[in-house]
Amino acid sequence: MNKLTDKFIWKSLKEGDLNAFSVLFETYYPQLHSYGLKISKDVTITEDTLQDFFLYIYEKRENLSDLDNIAPYLFTSYKRFLLNVIKKNKKIKYLDFTTETINDIQFTKEELIIEQETESFRNKNITKLLNKLPKRQKEVIYLKYYSGLKAAEISEIMDINYQSVINTLHKAIKSLKEEISILKLFK
Amino acid sequence: MIKKEYNNVLDFLEDPSFKNWAEQKNATDINYWEFWIANNPEKKELIEKAKDLTLGISFNKEIVSSEKVAFEWNRLESKIKATKRAPKGKLKYLKQLGIAASITFLISLGFYFINNTSKITHTTNYGEILNIKLQDGSDVTLNSNSSLSYYKNKSRKVWLTGEAFFQVDKKLSTNAKFWVLTDDLSVEVYGTSFNVNTKKKKTEVFLEEGNIWLKLKNGVEKKMIPGNYISYSSKQEKILEDKNIYNPTLKTSWKDGSLLFENLTLQNALEKIEETYGYSIMFEDDYSKNVLITGAVPNTNIEICLKAIEKSVGVKISKKNNTLIVSKK
Repeated sequence: MNKLTDKFIWKSLKEGDLNAFSVLFETYYPQLHSYGLKISKDVTITEDTLQDFFLYIYEKRENLSDLDNIAPYLFTSYKRFLLNVIKKNKKIKYLDFTTETINDIQFTKEELIIEQETESFRNKNITKLLNKLPKRQKEVIYLKYYSGLKAAEISEIMDINYQSVINTLHKAIKSLKEEISILKLFK
Repeated sequence: MIKKEYNNVLDFLEDPSFKNWAEQKNATDINYWEFWIANNPEKKELIEKAKDLTLGISFNKEIVSSEKVAFEWNRLESKIKATKRAPKGKLKYLKQLGIAASITFLISLGFYFINNTSKITHTTNYGEILNIKLQDGSDVTLNSNSSLSYYKNKSRKVWLTGEAFFQVDKKLSTNAKFWVLTDDLSVEVYGTSFNVNTKKKKTEVFLEEGNIWLKLKNGVEKKMIPGNYISYSSKQEKILEDKNIYNPTLKTSWKDGSLLFENLTLQNALEKIEETYGYSIMFEDDYSKNVLITGAVPNTNIEICLKAIEKSVGVKISKKNNTLIVSKK
């Protein structure tokens, strides 16, 4: 969605327009679904919290502030919403989460697109390398290349400045590239 | 498109032509940037950084299906409607409440139905070409005097009158098919690019890439492979043409703004002009009817188009109301 439609849809939602809300839902549900899965690693929790989250947005619509750009707001508040639920569930020992696994994005081998010349063993290693990156670098990589968000939007979501997003991304890609070329040497 | 100053990574990242160069996609952009890099050696480090960031990492994204999204929306919508209407009921109101709830449910069901069945139609005038991006990511180029419709949320089933070129996105996750329906047949595809033309009371399908299945109105199914061209009329209940075309641009050049003629008589060539611009044609002599024409003319600008034809075959074309009169010069 471009900026103009974002602004228009958000305004219509605040006025209680259910059609605008359905457009918003259809646009962002798939992205938030993947994001939620990455954080919670549980389909039921992801889908239940998404229902509650969108219902919450609709009920609170009159109190929402004006927005030019919807994605950062949705990603940030959904993550907060989801983490609260996970923490609550943890207290009643419904799930066995450790603090480290919460919010730590893990990539799977299947998610990486294999280049023709890349052998499967190396692909497995790239996944390992990706998962070894610091938490924040992984999240920036996820938001940029998986959710397809713009760097400016990522900087809003992660509450860091734009230059840091670029630097974090570059650091991550660079270390991946270095590791990969070392792997090539030992092939 | 191309900015003059490139001082930081962002300047490169925001330039679509730079992205094309990094992905080695567009020959013009590749040439431009190779030249630019050779002339700006001091920007080498910056370029490397921007290239790394542009290419990044490719993911096989696992995205929920549109059916699932529709289902989840339906769930949410009933909840919204329920909380809106339900009063804080006492026990004796329970019956009314039950009725109210079921009415709310029916209403929301109705809304869901209406929402899903509201039809979207795109139409073009003569001499107009429209690029449409469907919800599922497929691209459609709609030729002049044509129309394309589909139901909201169901953009993988479209109805076509006139002519359109389709570039259908493959849905890896759901393997969902894409349908094009015309008066004569339906085209069933997974992901490919092809041209469909229903002008002239028949449907012509030309397949550029991938595989498609045709279901003709007479019940016959036909599989097409790239290069195949089939034209079928349900009125005559038969296949009119079934051949291979080795120069695909002859059938698809219109989407890039030009009509291609290859050794056609002017009469045949001007039939295309009739379809595209909505004029009828009158020939004053046999020479102008039968002279052969080869070349490309624009399909969104009638003035330039006619001038080009006049020049290339030595005829004079004058406009009178809705008729083009063609005579030997």
